[in-house]
Amino acid sequence: MSHLPALVDGFLTTLALVALSFAGAFALGLVVVVLRIAPVGVLRAVGTGYVETFQNIPLLVWLVLFVFGLPEIGVRFPLFTTAVVVISLYEAAYVAEALRSGVNTVAHGQGEAARALGLTFGQSLRHVVVPQAARRVVQPLGNIGIALTMNTSLAAVAGVVELTASANRVNLVEALPIPIFVGAGLCYALLAAGIGGLAGLLERRPAT
Amino acid sequence: MRWTTLSVVVLLVVAGCSGGESSVPGAAPASAIDALLAKAPVAANLPAGSAMARIRERGELLIGGSLDAPLLSQQDPGTGELTGFDADLGKLLAKYVLGEPKTKLVISTSETREPLLANGTVDVVLQTYTITPQRAERVAFAGPYYSSGQAIAVRNGTDGIAKPADLSGHKVIAGANTPAIAAIKAAAPTAEIVEFGSDPECLTALRQGRGEAYVQDQALLIADAAQDEDLRLVGEPFTTDPYGIGIKHGDDQFKRFVDDWLREIQKSGLWQDVWRNSIGTVVTGEPPTPPAIGSAQGS
Repeated sequence: MSHLPALVDGFLTTLALVALSFAGAFALGLVVVVLRIAPVGVLRAVGTGYVETFQNIPLLVWLVLFVFGLPEIGVRFPLFTTAVVVISLYEAAYVAEALRSGVNTVAHGQGEAARALGLTFGQSLRHVVVPQAARRVVQPLGNIGIALTMNTSLAAVAGVVELTASANRVNLVEALPIPIFVGAGLCYALLAAGIGGLAGLLERRPAT
Repeated sequence: MRWTTLSVVVLLVVAGCSGGESSVPGAAPASAIDALLAKAPVAANLPAGSAMARIRERGELLIGGSLDAPLLSQQDPGTGELTGFDADLGKLLAKYVLGEPKTKLVISTSETREPLLANGTVDVVLQTYTITPQRAERVAFAGPYYSSGQAIAVRNGTDGIAKPADLSGHKVIAGANTPAIAAIKAAAPTAEIVEFGSDPECLTALRQGRGEAYVQDQALLIADAAQDEDLRLVGEPFTTDPYGIGIKHGDDQFKRFVDDWLREIQKSGLWQDVWRNSIGTVVTGEPPTPPAIGSAQGS
């Protein structure tokens, strides 16, 4: 297997894409969900607009827009950076929705009680809402992590040589598509199982 | 407002991808291929039980190929007709087997070609399928029916790239899943290869400065350069890619049959006519000498 280094490189690139994009999506998703549940109407509208924009246009379209569209107006990033930014922006919408569903599981009265106690919006989020919502969003976030992992394979069309692209390159020489792509598929399955297992661990973690 | 801006950007990108041209390179008038088909040969008697006999019984030839390869196998958006060198050869082969040019195209890719042949979804693959000894272990190749080569294109004003070795240390654009990738690695091991899915995407990327050079089949690059004044070919092709017709592994009878047909159309000048109708519309000069059947290692 003289091609193993190429496949390992591809796998590592996929790992980097997953880790960086998920970090970006989570950070941005947090901001978006705060906007979506904010008491100010304008902020809520901005949050809703963000989620609707990114959920309703396929990731591939965003990738093509960012890779080929932005340079037309003079903005050009390296391809790997572009892929991370686009996947983060896109998945952030889903992260925000998962977080919002967690927030919605916190009974309405809790928020009102927090306000009645004189807590500010930030304080009621920090002390009342987030601790209760956090554990309920672990599984949905895990599922988004798995979907994100699968979506990183689209970065191949944007010239990023991740696992799918390197499997393609190796297959071009070896003409053994079934073992090569089954192998690549197993790598993705392994990643997904890892993320699912991690989510399960976090969910069962004793309450603090 | 935001949506208006977005749609404009989308439209610009789409226009950029299509090159803003409505003409399809390599689209010869439909009558040209009809005239060729009229004088195309039909096989005399097919051995019972052979792959050819089964195809004639079915009434159509199933071809693995592409819809988006200019000059080779591209669908004319206006008529829905498939045009190009590979597409026309497919019609001639169908006429040879069936007596009429009834073909059905199954879109194949470099990931699916071998399984499609192995499980009998297609009878032949006609898709710039480069014959290599490694592939010949899984697929039988009739031909080579065409000899091509990878060439280098740059933007006007790019200095310092005059031969393949000059690609070293540069960012080089190549089509994903094309022989260009192996060719670049062999000629310039330190070149950084950037892949995009299709020829228009590669051209856009080159224009946007995502790479200094673009390596692709010479015929395709000539077609591109004919439509784009800013694109310049550098030097001559630096590889030889013998294209073969992929056939199910081990079917020697069918392979010999296709080889005989290739020899026949090469001798009668039909092969040259097909070339004139497709690649010859952008490459100047007389048709090249077709490669000798069986000359490529693995064919």
